[in-house]
Amino acid sequence: MTTATLDRDRLWEVSSRTIVYSAIGAALYGILLVAQIPIPGSTVSVRPAFALVPFFGYAFGPIVGFFTGFVGNAIGDQISGWGALTSWNWSLANGFVGLIAGLAPVYLSRWTNGSTRDRAIGGAIAGSIAVVIGFLFVFTDAILQGMDVGTILTTLYLPVIIGDLIGTIILVPILVYAWEPVKAQLGR
Amino acid sequence: MNIAPRYLGRGSWLARRDPRVLILIVALFIFTVLQVWDERFLLLLLAVAVIYYRSASIPWRHIKRNWTLVFVFIGLLVTVNLFVFSGGEVQGLPPGDHHLLFTVPLLGTPVTAETLSLAVTQFTRYLTMATIGFPVAFAIAPSDFGVAFKRLGVPEKFAFGIDLTFRFLPSLAADFQTTVDAQRIRGFDWSAGATGFLSRARRSTPVVVPTVVNAIAGAEDTIDAMDLRAFGTGRRSWLRELRYDTADRLLLLAFFGLLVAFTILGFMGITSKLYVFPFLIALAGG
Repeated sequence: MTTATLDRDRLWEVSSRTIVYSAIGAALYGILLVAQIPIPGSTVSVRPAFALVPFFGYAFGPIVGFFTGFVGNAIGDQISGWGALTSWNWSLANGFVGLIAGLAPVYLSRWTNGSTRDRAIGGAIAGSIAVVIGFLFVFTDAILQGMDVGTILTTLYLPVIIGDLIGTIILVPILVYAWEPVKAQLGR
Repeated sequence: MNIAPRYLGRGSWLARRDPRVLILIVALFIFTVLQVWDERFLLLLLAVAVIYYRSASIPWRHIKRNWTLVFVFIGLLVTVNLFVFSGGEVQGLPPGDHHLLFTVPLLGTPVTAETLSLAVTQFTRYLTMATIGFPVAFAIAPSDFGVAFKRLGVPEKFAFGIDLTFRFLPSLAADFQTTVDAQRIRGFDWSAGATGFLSRARRSTPVVVPTVVNAIAGAEDTIDAMDLRAFGTGRRSWLRELRYDTADRLLLLAFFGLLVAFTILGFMGITSKLYVFPFLIALAGG
């Protein structure tokens, strides 16, 4: 399956493997969201679990990435009691991060087709790009909630992307390094 | 560790409804609320949301903490918006029409009757949406989500994916706890000792990585089982049959009617304008 993500022609394939990896990604993301560490003075948290979204996108493709982010965030909200659909635009933003990371073979083929080290670095780069772009969708709160763009930028967007970038840059390459030998062992 | 969604509204009037009704109502109601800027009408919608919420019979003692978080989250957003970023402006209202109450020391942000009314309105809007969203979290059986989304038109494979996600939750949570315990036995406690931003993220690595890699490697059995059952080759059936009853239809009709009514009122300009509290204008000496 990992080879599928690195093969541009098979990016949008939906097989049993896609569905199972999506479900595992979303469930893990939802579970690990309990490990959130609040950022003082902000409404958001440092979420090490967030690295799963760009990782699943990068390793298994844009569909898995989108599902992991979108459904995982909705499930995290559901478990916490906020309601799966109440902050639907935030779930979509999470989904877009996974989707953009999953499109790495389109815009980062030099890294995704290289050695394990290249792929690990590529994961961090793709994840970072995805975080910065994907979370732009939370600015829809300006329309939906009538919030000032400055408020969204400073209390929501910046704290979220700073926390998530830290998690992504640290964890995604480690996850890629850990997953590559297992993948080879499984014959994938 | 208890990670599974809590089905606290079990047996209530709302929980006995078709799960599609609860999902559709959230969508209908959010689009209704989004069109309203008049606090008086928002309070009316909040009352509707509270009545709806009460029909889910969610025990207060179990969700006190959830409500506290909601109030803190909304309160912080609205306060920052009011005191830091509003700049004393309200969209669609000329600065000359404002009634100054006071200026925030240090920041210099003018707080007017209009910006304060806007803050109260934003708070009510968020609160109304959260109130209508809670029953989705606590009054839908987790096993009903997959079939509900399928019947709402989500492609079959993705609906199955949602179902599968809920089924994975307990076993993956158990695996996660096993990993945490195993690391503790080795002398590593991921939740202790880290103080900084970076170190907290770094300390999660020995717990997150094994949990994730184990879960992915263990997925092979599920994939094989699905392939052996020819997953995705034809239409699948669901164990749970969903049918709207009269109460479901009436409820949907009522919320749809609310959306239509408030859309018309919005176009007529009755609900779409900010309501400025007269006592605030009086307080400003206007």
